[in-house]
Amino acid sequence: MKTLILGAGAIGGYIGGRLQQSGADVTFLVRPARREALAKNGLVIKSPKGDVTQKVKTVLKGGEGGPYDIVLLTNKAYDMESAIEAIAPAISLNTAIVPLLNGMNHLDVLDAKFGAGHVAGGVARIGVALSPEGEIRHTSPFAAFSVGERGGKPARPALIEFADAIKKAGLDGGLHENIVQDLWDKWVFLCTLAALCCLMRGTSGDILAAEEGQAIVLETLEECRKVAAASGFDPSAQGLGFARQSLSQKGSLFAASMLHDLEKGAMVEADHVVGDMIARGKKAGVATPNLRLAYAHLQVYLARRARGGIGKPAL
Amino acid sequence: MKILFLGAGAVGGYWAARLAQAGLDVTCLLREKRAETVRKDGLVVKSPKGDFSQPVKVVTKGTDGGPYDVIVLACKGYDLPSAMDAIAPAVGANTTIVPILNGHMHFATLDARFGKNKVAGGLARIGGMLGPNGEILHSGASGVSFGERDGKPARAALVELDAACKKAGIVGGLNANINQDLWDKWIMLGAIAGMCSAMRGTVGDIAASEDGAAIMAEALDECRKVAAAEGYPPSDKVVGAIRASLTQKGGKSVASILGDIEKGGAVEGKQIVGDMLARARQHGLAAPTLRFAYAHLQTYEARRARGGLK
Repeated sequence: MKTLILGAGAIGGYIGGRLQQSGADVTFLVRPARREALAKNGLVIKSPKGDVTQKVKTVLKGGEGGPYDIVLLTNKAYDMESAIEAIAPAISLNTAIVPLLNGMNHLDVLDAKFGAGHVAGGVARIGVALSPEGEIRHTSPFAAFSVGERGGKPARPALIEFADAIKKAGLDGGLHENIVQDLWDKWVFLCTLAALCCLMRGTSGDILAAEEGQAIVLETLEECRKVAAASGFDPSAQGLGFARQSLSQKGSLFAASMLHDLEKGAMVEADHVVGDMIARGKKAGVATPNLRLAYAHLQVYLARRARGGIGKPAL
Repeated sequence: MKILFLGAGAVGGYWAARLAQAGLDVTCLLREKRAETVRKDGLVVKSPKGDFSQPVKVVTKGTDGGPYDVIVLACKGYDLPSAMDAIAPAVGANTTIVPILNGHMHFATLDARFGKNKVAGGLARIGGMLGPNGEILHSGASGVSFGERDGKPARAALVELDAACKKAGIVGGLNANINQDLWDKWIMLGAIAGMCSAMRGTVGDIAASEDGAAIMAEALDECRKVAAAEGYPPSDKVVGAIRASLTQKGGKSVASILGDIEKGGAVEGKQIVGDMLARARQHGLAAPTLRFAYAHLQTYEARRARGGLK
């Protein structure tokens, strides 16, 4: 089985590195500068689960090195257009695309471009970042990757093999029977966290220090839950309990990576993570007043960023 | 008439400089470091109306140079306790305190300390900030407004202060309806400060988002309802003018509190937004937008308190 990973960033670099370490055939589709750096330094992973530096296969074009059984997408949603363009030549008759993106909307975009038959579901749960030196810095105690067919079909052989490779690589996750539910579960949690960390500009612990912080967290989680339920994917009590608990830790420094992006002046997945939740709520008749303010905050940020006003005094 | 200004910031400093320029007897009560600069350079004003340096009398203790007829208190709400300590020795039997603070919380505090009859109502519409060398960077507007809070005819000191302001070319002056003016200013400030903080952008940035102008208008309406419930409903004309200026596409206006946040400074969250929200609740009014703005400011303060602002 051959796997192509678009980019060798934080998530793609981590899962690709671990897969290769356990003997999988992995190729990274990268830009020339990244290829050069990888050729020179190897793919460097720094992780509580063990550091490793490896030589990796790279290609500059999707048409090289194939055919691939699995094409893994770990790009940001706002880069979807260029991601599609990059992988298009790598998609052959039997290729399964496994996107590890947040939210849901990317599935519609990929279906429209490649046909739903090519597109599986995937969820990544990991805290990882790319350092300025190009190293993969894994920070969370967990690293889980779930994949599966959407719509409850039996998994195609390539996906089963890929899930086995995930297990063999010592990663958590693997084949998930209801991957769409898993996508919603993650989105409900992430949307709440990202919306509030950004709207309040603080960690989950900072937010809880505000008089009404806890109430606002629970309301926002409930808005997301209602949208998921109205879409047919009500999160399990266990999943909700976990979300509620991890968002209710007083003094916690836990924050959405979107907040770090805001503070760096970087691009953010505002539409994909928050805007689309609101849109789906609207369609289903679910009111999302808290998300509305969070989305406005993100749009204000993007407007200010677009005029070059980030990092300059507002006054 | 002897006038004492506590501090020489952008608002008080500008006002003091203009009065002194017009020949009034003005003294500034300053901290040692600021006193040294002002003694040496005077109050340095850079203004669209012309730059100038104005020598003023400087004291570093409230016991010096008095008694004063008027004390102008232009400090931040969170500095009120130390400001009151500083002016206390300067407050004589016939002194009138004119506080130029945002919101309404300071009145109860000042009344309790000095007696209600000593505390007039006041506000300033002077735009500006202090430059790196303590110069007053005035941005154009220069209006003040003061008067009796109980609506009775103004005491002699305020009438005299009004004449002094007119002589100094400062717009506004004695206002027979100072309470209404204070509320009119506060509803504007509650909305712009609340939203520029919670959204972290200028009026124009906010108006550039899909729901931004609507959210700003909702915040203003929440404030308007509080003012009305408190007995000071703003006129439609006032609300309309505020709404137009706070929802203006491409508007460059921004609340100074956002500048404070981005510098990692202290903010008047409670005075400007928290107290408005508290009053909304007292009157049984829904204020969902202000609630978020205040939660944002409290989150900021929590993060600042733990040293977590980058």
